[in-house]
Amino acid sequence: MRLHAALTLAACLAPAAAIFEDDAYHIDFHYALLGLPKHEATFFQKPYAGSKASLLYSISQNQTIGAINPKDGALVWRQHFSTEPHGQGHLRSGSEQDTVISAVGDRIAAWSSSDGRLVWETSVKGAVVEDLEILEQEDGMTINEAKDAIVLLSGGSHGVKRLDGKTGLAKWTFEDSSGDTPFQVSTSPTTIYYISLHSPLLGGSKLKVTSLSPITGKKVDQYTLSSDAEITARSNILFAGANTAAPLLAWTDKAHKVLKVNIIGTKSVASFNTPGDDAVEKIVLHAPNHVNSLPHFLVEYQTAVGHSAEVYHVDLKKSTISKAYSLPELKNTGTFTTSTSDANVYFTRVTEDEVAVFSSTSHGILGRWALKHSLATAGAHPVHGVSEVVVKAGTASAVRSAILYSNGQWVLHRNDELAWSRPEFLSGTVSAVWAGLPEEEALAQALEEEGNRNLVSAYIHRVQRHIQDLMYFPAWAQSIPTRLLGSVFGKSNEDAIKDVKLDTFGFHKLVVVATEKGRLAALDVGSRGKILWNIDLHQFAPDATLQSLSLKAHRGHVEVKDSSLKAPLFINSTTGSLAAHQKAKTPLPAVSGAEKLVSFALVDDTLKGFLEGGPTSEPVWSFSPAPGERIVKYTARPLQDPVASIGKVLGDRRVLYKYLNPNLVLVTAVQDSTRTASIYLLDSASGQLLHTISHSDVDTSRPIPSTISEHWFVYSLTTDAKAGALSRGYQLIVSDLYESPLPDDRGPLGATSNSSTVQPSSSTGDVIKPYVLSQSYQIPAEISHMTVTQTRQGITSRELLVTVPSINSIIGIPRQIIDPRRPIGRDTNAQEKEEGLVPYTPVINWDPKWHITHKYEVIGVQDVITSESGIESTSLVFAYGLDIFGTRVAPSFAFDILGKGFNKISMLLTVVALFGGVIFVAPLVRRKQINSLWTT
Amino acid sequence: MQLSISTLASLASTASAARFLLQVPPTGLLNPSTLPSTTHATLQSSGPPIDAYLTRSNTFSFANVSAGSYLATVHCRDYVFEPLRIDVSVEEAVEGSGEKKEVVRAWQTFLGNEWDNKGESRGEGGNGLVVEARPVGTKFFYQERSGFSPMSFLKNPMILMAVVSMGLMFGMPKLMENMDPEMKEEFEEMQKTGVLGSGTTNTASQIQNFDLASWMAGKTDTGSTPRGQSPAGQAKKR
Repeated sequence: MRLHAALTLAACLAPAAAIFEDDAYHIDFHYALLGLPKHEATFFQKPYAGSKASLLYSISQNQTIGAINPKDGALVWRQHFSTEPHGQGHLRSGSEQDTVISAVGDRIAAWSSSDGRLVWETSVKGAVVEDLEILEQEDGMTINEAKDAIVLLSGGSHGVKRLDGKTGLAKWTFEDSSGDTPFQVSTSPTTIYYISLHSPLLGGSKLKVTSLSPITGKKVDQYTLSSDAEITARSNILFAGANTAAPLLAWTDKAHKVLKVNIIGTKSVASFNTPGDDAVEKIVLHAPNHVNSLPHFLVEYQTAVGHSAEVYHVDLKKSTISKAYSLPELKNTGTFTTSTSDANVYFTRVTEDEVAVFSSTSHGILGRWALKHSLATAGAHPVHGVSEVVVKAGTASAVRSAILYSNGQWVLHRNDELAWSRPEFLSGTVSAVWAGLPEEEALAQALEEEGNRNLVSAYIHRVQRHIQDLMYFPAWAQSIPTRLLGSVFGKSNEDAIKDVKLDTFGFHKLVVVATEKGRLAALDVGSRGKILWNIDLHQFAPDATLQSLSLKAHRGHVEVKDSSLKAPLFINSTTGSLAAHQKAKTPLPAVSGAEKLVSFALVDDTLKGFLEGGPTSEPVWSFSPAPGERIVKYTARPLQDPVASIGKVLGDRRVLYKYLNPNLVLVTAVQDSTRTASIYLLDSASGQLLHTISHSDVDTSRPIPSTISEHWFVYSLTTDAKAGALSRGYQLIVSDLYESPLPDDRGPLGATSNSSTVQPSSSTGDVIKPYVLSQSYQIPAEISHMTVTQTRQGITSRELLVTVPSINSIIGIPRQIIDPRRPIGRDTNAQEKEEGLVPYTPVINWDPKWHITHKYEVIGVQDVITSESGIESTSLVFAYGLDIFGTRVAPSFAFDILGKGFNKISMLLTVVALFGGVIFVAPLVRRKQINSLWTT
Repeated sequence: MQLSISTLASLASTASAARFLLQVPPTGLLNPSTLPSTTHATLQSSGPPIDAYLTRSNTFSFANVSAGSYLATVHCRDYVFEPLRIDVSVEEAVEGSGEKKEVVRAWQTFLGNEWDNKGESRGEGGNGLVVEARPVGTKFFYQERSGFSPMSFLKNPMILMAVVSMGLMFGMPKLMENMDPEMKEEFEEMQKTGVLGSGTTNTASQIQNFDLASWMAGKTDTGSTPRGQSPAGQAKKR
């Protein structure tokens, strides 16, 4: 009940600007991403037996399981394992099952295929799941109930487990104590094969195949294949057949000269030579993984210039493998996919410009579609994919293929059309910066050019530029009527929004993002995250292993830094091309002659300030926390942080002066042994300590996000329950900095006419410390990251944007809610009410109206960046990490722009009515005036 | 399902590890089978919280929970759930028997209050206890747009006052006209004698003679007396 009361109270006291229902999904965008899908763990599957439509399931390289609607590419459900490290993830599903089974790290879980709810979950402590298979048949009979899973474990103890499909309980366990490296498991209708790599001291590995009884898990047979001549690395093993009628084991040598195939269960090895025209760079084996399908498979050879393929048939009775036909080499890159229909096997060849369907039995083309050109796949080639083929009377009538392209786009081709594309490459975004719009940048460049010329030529240049601009006038004039009508009749100017050029309010701003795979892309936040360009940075730096990219925006170009790059790369932010170096000179920060720049960095747990361009590399100041503490984070005040007013006007018209110092740095340090966290406020110019706070009973293993803006800073802590803390949960602490505790007083600075907070130490010889007011609140869930909205002039009240990973939301807490001047233990008096203060409550319950992500579930947010827009009321927000989310917020309502709620028709009608009234009244007034003149 | 979870938990159970379920009951507010699959529950005490996903049977199963006092929270996109305090302890089932069993106790808890300040009990029992996690509210994210409607415009007190005074201004003369002559005379008599209280001052006549048109035309009043008397003077001149 109390919670109710608190909730309603919170709702009452927060007149925060929430999202309007008709704005949602229009001003914001969200890419709900999975990550790059893994080839062997991506498949089309019906969510339950008898379902008409199938879904596309996948586990990505960053362990996110998801189901995608193949019609439109929308995400149906997903589950993300945030804590698991990148590694092996497996996803399998038995045919006609309503579950998909995943294995990530040591966790094996079954999920409901249709809605993504958990069915069962089990984990094996200390183990890593190497492989996962579904037991489709037992004793040659198809299992109709929940099909069991076979898992191969490594790590702690090697072995194979059979898990019950209904409960996840182990039915039996086979322990392998031989010390071989577990590789894979494969099932046939009667046997389970456990394949391991036996590595003698010298030379390559031998493949050891152990057959197990599916019922008891006992070892039936074991044999070793002499593959040590070829296999030197795991990547030499091409395929260990999953669930085919004749499971296969294929490997090749280092030079890809020979292909060796073994039908698992037999000891014979068939050897084939690979086509010898060009050096084969990669061999991929495609085989159907359906139980009843024909035992045919396709081997794809990729060379530097093209690709070709050969189709092989397996004779089950004789246990021989023979080549059936080969597909001609094409001088471009492509991939093959396998699909089955009843027993028939079809191979689909997807190249950059064509989709062709072949049957496994003959080389005739069943269907061929020329792919239409699309922006998403331009300049990229297919990497891998899955297909579904409809074959009627010997011809393929329809085909749909979900293909991962080399540029990280996951697209679905429906026949010749691109049905959807998902920009999965954005899932690993590590850095993002705001950049200006192409037009603004071009204009700025032109103006700069003019500035450098002499007066006459600059004038001529300007006139020429204006004449050139006239070119756009007719089109602009033509667009006026439609724009006018559109805006009057409430037809939202959606089309206009898509057009980047129309940017009256400065909502269109580019964000340049860098991914962990070394890609760079630009998104337009105002056009719902449209990707303007997408490049691979490796083309500019072929040798570099780009892993920890960091970006910095300059006018017209973005500076890309990486530890493996010798010199930073400069990329044109409008086109994505490499900017010329002489043009891309980094503008020096605005420091006038006598001033010096102090930069600081964290060195060996000590924060050190250096004089930039100074003669020595000696630090001018250094700060280390109390002994035993380690610095976990430091946050500086943003470079662009305009402040509209230097004081806070109180209810009685007196002023509390804000402590405004552009060099504030907030340092967070923790001590694990005593479970304390200390917050230090530093001045980065002088290195002086301005303020410290220490908290006990803090869970130091959890994140302590913090941010600093204007004259206040915020951080959040998790209470540690070990020592019996009085309360539980999570805390948010807000501190305001003022020059003096007294209103109308500027503290020690008051008397001096020429003092500066920039150089506190030089003004009076002693550091001027701020007066700090703090309040702490209990919050319902943990915060992983926080930042503050930014507006053009800082007049608009700020909003604290906090990322709450547990509910996958970003919440904007209004500043007046977290004002440390909220009176405690009493009601507000009249003056405080005038200021908009509300009595202190220990809990801040997050009002659903504060959720700027509303119904979107934004997963895996690493960072949120904000930027000013063209108008004062609005701030642009962009969040990245696994998902990409962008919106704009107006913390004090959109006071300088007409919203959609403004009824232009009624305004026009009012004007017309008033005009009519004036026309009607005017003769009356005139008559009366004349009458009165006559009568006097 | 319950069976599967209990058996699953028994696999991993160690000496002092309890298991229990949080169940979302069907209420008028919420049909638990409509909850999104991202709904999950956490147990927080120290270090990383224990996380449990929503199962098909609308439960969150926690297995292998070591003794301690936990804050249990259900995180959901669409609903707010009440926070719970869950204590797991190992106690002797019968005093002096030496046989120790896990005991799970659950209470309502209130954020911003002391941890010992417990609410209503939400269940107590051994392993496999089912605790109800109740939703307390729906999240509504959107702000209503206050659209323009003529009725809301008319309900404005200023407008109402204006309408009433307008009605009086135009309606009174009409009323006077419709009165029968005797009544009218009587009324005028009353006005003169000042029964209505306005007879002595000429405010009423001022208001009645108020020249709206000239006032709107920007004519400044120099005083009420000359204007009030001038028509009479004019008449005399004629």
